[in-house]
Amino acid sequence: MRRRFRLEPYVEFAKRAIAREATYRFNVFTGLGSLVVRVYLLRTVWTALYAHNAAPRELPLHAIVTYSTVALLMGLVLDIDQTRALYDRLHDGSIATDFMKPINVPLYFFADGTGEVLFHGALLVPALGFALLLVHVDVPSLGVLAAFAVSFLLGYFVGFFLNFILNCSAFWTLEISAVQMIVTWLTDLLGGQLVPLVFFPAALAGVVYALPFAAMFSTPLLIYVGVIGPERYFDVMASQLAWIVVLGTVSTLLWRAGARRVVVQGG
Amino acid sequence: MPIIETVDLRKVFRSIKREPGLRGALGALFTREYEEKAAVEGVSFSLEPGEVVGYIGPNGAGKSTTIKMLTGILVPTSGTVRVAGLVPYEQREANAENIGVVFGQRSQLYWDLPLRESFELLRSIYDISRDRYRENLAEFSRLLDLERFMGTPVRQLSLGERMRGDFAAAMLHDPKLVFLDEPTIGLDVIAKESIREFVARVNRERGTTVILTTHDLADVERLCPRIILIDEGKVIYDGALERLREEYGTHRTLVVTLFESYPEFAVDGAVVESREANVVRLRFDRRKLSAETLVRRVLDRYAISDIAIVEPDIESIVRRLYLEGYGGTARVEPP
Amino acid sequence: MFGLYRQYWRINVLTTLEYRANFILWSLFTVVYHGSAIAALYIVLHEFPSMNGWTFRDMAFLYALWMLAHALQNTLFSNVDDVPERIREGDFDRVLIRPVDPLFSVIATPGQIFPDELILAASFFALATVYSGVRVDAAFVLLVPLVVAGGALIDLGINLGIATLAFWFVRVDALRWVVLQLEQEFTRYPIVIYSRGVRFLLTFVIPFAFMNYFPAAYFLDKHDGTFLLPPQVGLLSPLIGTALVLAAYAFWRFGLRRYQGVGH
Repeated sequence: MRRRFRLEPYVEFAKRAIAREATYRFNVFTGLGSLVVRVYLLRTVWTALYAHNAAPRELPLHAIVTYSTVALLMGLVLDIDQTRALYDRLHDGSIATDFMKPINVPLYFFADGTGEVLFHGALLVPALGFALLLVHVDVPSLGVLAAFAVSFLLGYFVGFFLNFILNCSAFWTLEISAVQMIVTWLTDLLGGQLVPLVFFPAALAGVVYALPFAAMFSTPLLIYVGVIGPERYFDVMASQLAWIVVLGTVSTLLWRAGARRVVVQGG
Repeated sequence: MPIIETVDLRKVFRSIKREPGLRGALGALFTREYEEKAAVEGVSFSLEPGEVVGYIGPNGAGKSTTIKMLTGILVPTSGTVRVAGLVPYEQREANAENIGVVFGQRSQLYWDLPLRESFELLRSIYDISRDRYRENLAEFSRLLDLERFMGTPVRQLSLGERMRGDFAAAMLHDPKLVFLDEPTIGLDVIAKESIREFVARVNRERGTTVILTTHDLADVERLCPRIILIDEGKVIYDGALERLREEYGTHRTLVVTLFESYPEFAVDGAVVESREANVVRLRFDRRKLSAETLVRRVLDRYAISDIAIVEPDIESIVRRLYLEGYGGTARVEPP
Repeated sequence: MFGLYRQYWRINVLTTLEYRANFILWSLFTVVYHGSAIAALYIVLHEFPSMNGWTFRDMAFLYALWMLAHALQNTLFSNVDDVPERIREGDFDRVLIRPVDPLFSVIATPGQIFPDELILAASFFALATVYSGVRVDAAFVLLVPLVVAGGALIDLGINLGIATLAFWFVRVDALRWVVLQLEQEFTRYPIVIYSRGVRFLLTFVIPFAFMNYFPAAYFLDKHDGTFLLPPQVGLLSPLIGTALVLAAYAFWRFGLRRYQGVGH
């Protein structure tokens, strides 16, 4: 017999995650402090570059400052490893007890990660406040903002599945911290958070667009600053969706194999 | 000459006083009020070389603060302390050569490496001569049966094996004095016994002085002829274990199994501690009432099928001392 | 003491071998970490040929100088960073029951330390030196090790200073983290691009500019005239590093005395 689905426990998981994150006040302060420092740095660096060189047509100084600032703010949400709990519970062996509870275990991790993201998402407000003290951020039309929001959400799911896949590999090996750090660093560079992908030399750009990282940062950001116009919205979002389907499928397969391993071998 | 001598040793800690809640937390940012708490308040004792002493007290009594002052980790607020003729906090490094320390809860071995490598590193740290090192290692691995897992990474050892490794590590440099802090915590009976045997042997054959802090009083009964009891930073008893038993272990328990069940059970001069089914436990003070009289009184009124007298163990004596007080008479000079 | 230090390295290497897969992955991370920073510089300066007169070739040398000094510090002294946590966990007392100097004892606490980052840094430095076209003469060969050692000492002095604060405050991770970020991101560019306040901070308060900017400006013949300082100040980094480490060590001794007086 199939049990009736109840949302309530998952809302509780998310609330717990918010409360848990709130106790790490120190992370919050350093996060905001480092953001301010980086906003200063990006303003200074881009200003220096534009002062001594011809500006590229696509991105004038105000657009690149907007791009980089929004990219940093997005990082507050996208750089979070929402499924860290999966690794932690595999590491200390408590995953076995999760399987004893009447819950959908992947959904539990999703709820936990959502809570974490909601908490850090709330920090966007003070972070934006601080950033505006240092730089001017362009605000596009409502239509563009809506497209940005949708694309950002799609990018969030790409990131979620990427993290989920990495954490799933902890079913087989617990030494994944280094791999995760490598992926985080590659995401920042190849996702276009550090430097817009439009600046990449052609050879490198080919590689970058074949990887899922651009779907996380670059696509929503280029929509925001108008480099991707409304006529291309459908194409870029379809490509984001395609990544979600691919990564989601891989996640499901890995999870099934991993869960079978836990159930059969007891972790 | 005593190997340890402390006179009126005191250690006062100062901590920030904080009002509860957010207001308190914010207030503490600007004005700070301190409160002082004496962890050790006038501790004096001395130890002769070769003694094995149990340093006993409840959590927070000041045991580890005392040990930290003896090892040179902490500087006393006042009072004097000498260990093997040195002032530990002034000549910390020289003092460190004389002492060995085993923490039951914290290993000094390197988690990822075979025991042998940890020993090699300690050889360098304590600058132990090759010959001495080889002799000690051979002896300890025989006594503690280390050979079997000498090449196994420490993380793969059982707790008992790891503790044996830790003991060897603490003794490799022939310390004159070893501090054992909860050395048998979490071990099974067999592992405990092998550790106790090792300590007794090192003390007997090498004359190593041992200070043992533990909550497991079976360790003390097995190893320490003398104990120092400490509570709230003060020494409340210092003397022979036997004498403690004689002076404070004056109560006995008479366990009576009744032949049939009686609705009421009472005997003059004894207190019913518990009664389960037909088994009654009676507590009495042997100074006020002899066992013979008590047994006779019981037999006069009840039909019984079995009877036994139980002597108090050291743990219950110490527990009573802490709970019921010691009336200032406990201070007994060491023999 | 020498014997102990040798033992320490022996154990580091053995531990690293024990976790071979993990070691390879972390080395790969080191490559990605520095690689992505250099790649970002390359991409930006490919689009914008110069930054206040500094080309990508110059900036590769600037980065390489910092990387080498930083890697040297990391390889020899990274254990200093563990002091706050060891104090918090109560493990620091272990250092004090040893018959060796506590700071030396901290530095020689074995872990999984391997000179992979240093090897990478040295290789990249050699590449960047050739690529930047800096004049390699006897003076260069003589001065570079001095300047790099000076940079490592500056790095160590600041790290030791922060670690020492742990004798007073339970958590210093936040400060450590912010300073590390300042170091990583602000040493990447010539300091001439920064505002006066930031330049002052990086020159006189936390002198990261002496780890790479001033020496690189000297070798590359860049006369930015920051604070009207002559280019030769770049050669002062060994002196500044030594002074900083001595000051940090005095502070460490002071903190240690407090630790022994107050406990935790």
